[in-house]
Amino acid sequence: MTAAAHRTGHAAGRTGPPRTRSVPDRVRSLLLGLTGLVGFGLLLEVLARTGVVPARYLPPTSRILTELVDSAASGTLWAAAGNTVLTWAIGLGLAVAAAVVLGLIIGSVPLLRAATASTIEFLRPIPSVAWIPAAIVLYGPVRAGTLLIVVYAAFWQMLVQVLHGVVDVDPVARDTARSYRLGPIARVRWVVLPTALPYLVTGLRLAATVALILTVTGELFVGTPGLGAEILRASAGGAVATTYALVVVTGLLGVAANLAFRALERYLLSWHPSIRREVPA
Amino acid sequence: MRWADRSVALLRWLLLTATLPTLLVVIWWYASRDSTHFLFRPLSDIWAAFRQTWLGPRLVEDVLPSLSRLGQGYAASLLLGVGIGVLIGLHRTLRALVEPVLEFLRAIPPPALIPLIGLFAGLGDTRRVVIIIAGCVWPILLNTVEGVRAVDEVLTDTCRSYRIRGPRRLYHLVLRSASPQIMTGARQALAIGIILMVISELQRTDRGIGYAVEEFQTSFRYAEMWSGVIMLGLLGVALSLLFRLADQRVLRWYHGVRATEKGGRQ
Amino acid sequence: MKRKLAASLFITALLVSAACGGDNGDGGDGDGQATNGGGADTVTVGLIPIVDVAPLFLGDQQGFFADRGIELQTEFAAGGAEIIPGVQSGQFDFGFSNVISLMLAQASGLELQAVANGNSSTGVQGEDFGSLMVPVDSPIQDPAELEGATVATNTLNNIVDTIVRASVRKAGGDPSTIEFVGVPFPEMEAALANGDVDAAFPVEPFQTLIRTNDVGRSIAWSWVDAAPDLTVAVYFTSGRLAQEDPDLVARFAEAMAEALAYANDNPDEVRAILPDYARVSPEIAAELTLPTWPPEVNRASLEQLGELAVQDGLLSEPPDLDALVP
Repeated sequence: MTAAAHRTGHAAGRTGPPRTRSVPDRVRSLLLGLTGLVGFGLLLEVLARTGVVPARYLPPTSRILTELVDSAASGTLWAAAGNTVLTWAIGLGLAVAAAVVLGLIIGSVPLLRAATASTIEFLRPIPSVAWIPAAIVLYGPVRAGTLLIVVYAAFWQMLVQVLHGVVDVDPVARDTARSYRLGPIARVRWVVLPTALPYLVTGLRLAATVALILTVTGELFVGTPGLGAEILRASAGGAVATTYALVVVTGLLGVAANLAFRALERYLLSWHPSIRREVPA
Repeated sequence: MRWADRSVALLRWLLLTATLPTLLVVIWWYASRDSTHFLFRPLSDIWAAFRQTWLGPRLVEDVLPSLSRLGQGYAASLLLGVGIGVLIGLHRTLRALVEPVLEFLRAIPPPALIPLIGLFAGLGDTRRVVIIIAGCVWPILLNTVEGVRAVDEVLTDTCRSYRIRGPRRLYHLVLRSASPQIMTGARQALAIGIILMVISELQRTDRGIGYAVEEFQTSFRYAEMWSGVIMLGLLGVALSLLFRLADQRVLRWYHGVRATEKGGRQ
Repeated sequence: MKRKLAASLFITALLVSAACGGDNGDGGDGDGQATNGGGADTVTVGLIPIVDVAPLFLGDQQGFFADRGIELQTEFAAGGAEIIPGVQSGQFDFGFSNVISLMLAQASGLELQAVANGNSSTGVQGEDFGSLMVPVDSPIQDPAELEGATVATNTLNNIVDTIVRASVRKAGGDPSTIEFVGVPFPEMEAALANGDVDAAFPVEPFQTLIRTNDVGRSIAWSWVDAAPDLTVAVYFTSGRLAQEDPDLVARFAEAMAEALAYANDNPDEVRAILPDYARVSPEIAAELTLPTWPPEVNRASLEQLGELAVQDGLLSEPPDLDALVP
């Protein structure tokens, strides 16, 4: 592997593989964490019930939770959540596929890389939400409008990471592959992908986070069906408890995604020496 | 003949940087020249609209307020994020206590919070700045916690044996060590901040870039609308460049160390 | 390591196939072209889910459209800014929009024309489907006192602020000092209650909701102030469809006229159908003030409105009403 991998804890790096913690330590953390969660909920409940924060702004936690259970039972929640997840998955999938393909091609040819660098650096920071008015006009309140902004944002996040991953390939490894006359496909599989994998996984995580934010944005402003649209409808109708309940669900969705990606990271990269920084994007 | 080599190198750099963008713009210009489509206006129209709209009074009336709100939100997020992040990062018990709550709060996509923020913060600038903070604070906070946690043990012990305590320790050991990680968080926060700056202005206010682009859309002035999109792109690029400059200044020492480790290869 | 690699590739492939297999047009895009299969033409209409469009649903229920070989498909959108481009691009065959939005679109070069009346003001002071409201405890009694105040309108630089300015002028005030703020209709109640705005112009059902919740009271009826018997909105189509299939357009117009007349004569049935599509509770539906649905567009009122728009700077010249309302 690269010399970077063998670095021993300089500055912002960690020293070696993540320490596994002892069982009592983990149990303690778990208990503390649960206490924190429950405490937070209780705090909000107290604030709401005692009137410190007016009920119009903040319903008690208990009411939010009951509202949550009601929506889950009635089925509207699942339809909306399903729409959000579907839009998110489609957008992420399209963006990732395009970014991986383009990134591999551009990254492997130094001339292409140099020629496209300025264009990429210009297009990348364009806030995806600038496309909202155009999306509204082009597509109206359907999934395609939101997909436009989701794919645009997630694509750049992923592309940058793929490019860095491809570039980071150890020159010695690359030369070895060439002297053994490995074809392009084999080279990708044995040399490029293993080095690039940590970057790919980081990119996937970043892209997924951005994609969720923009999916909800699209549902709020373009009108695509989903959790965001339901939040808007609830808040417009004055159903404050429902609004909070829907926001909680959206948060849970985000937490689930984070956990899933972190598990994916651990699974895919358990063989990789631990130094895995986020590349300056 | 060093100047000849240098000029060749400069020419080469110029060609590489400018060819593709120029090509794309030229193609766009000519492809759209005769466009009668109501939405995809000719680039020449869009360019004229751009000059008229953004190089005039709107620069002060719309762009400045937007940037000012972004600045306020970003600065507040930095203060909050680093401040709370250092606290949490340094105290294991506190961190275990609040971590799940923070993980939950930060997983909520900020746009979903907008209706709720509207309840508390009314219709004015406070609301818009709060929306920006609601999204920007999390990458900074969480990366600060990570950075503080990962301070090198050897350095910590060294500080202890040299009896470096208190504010000096905080600054030289903790903040310095964590700064690359904090900067990573700050970079993510900037991208999110720009998005939220635009979103916070949709549908509610009457001054700002996001508002202007939406206004053009609702009054069917599509050339102006596209010019607004270009303006947002330019702003994004400018802010990104500014950040990179700041990053190079603040983390001069870190980039130097990394360059050495990589054997001079960037 | 091999397995991990295979797993990651597999997941990527899954995502890609989900992308390819997923449907790309949720919510029923609707057929842009009116199909001519087996007798009935399927026609897509872009609507806002508000009280104003009740006659369309009522007429569909009564079979006025089916009688003329038209099968209606409705699509809901947030406002004219979405419906108008939708009609222009062929996503919708017909659309519903307020007349100022159409004038603005025409000024921007879009080719649209009205085919039937949409809905009109009641023409009666004190009883209309929208009014200028202030918080119950506000000291403001008269629109002239709104100088320098903040007024909530649903869309900036559109019909609502135009008519509110007309009210202020009529009461002797100077409307140029008013600060309009964009607030969607459903949120106007909260804005008034919280004191975020000094006044607002809600339409039904929000006008009735604000009144029954004791949050605000009306001080002016701006639809009436702007012009007598004002035509507020119309059903329209693209110039393209009008040229390609004038027969379909004529049939739609006839069906719509019949539906409008029916709605005018049967207000109870209108109130009964509101909860179905507009998320209005039956109690509120029974109380709110309905607009009127005359079968004809009131051209004189549109001319007056056009003049107001020019005066307020929305338009640089009066609209070409011959093209807009043939």
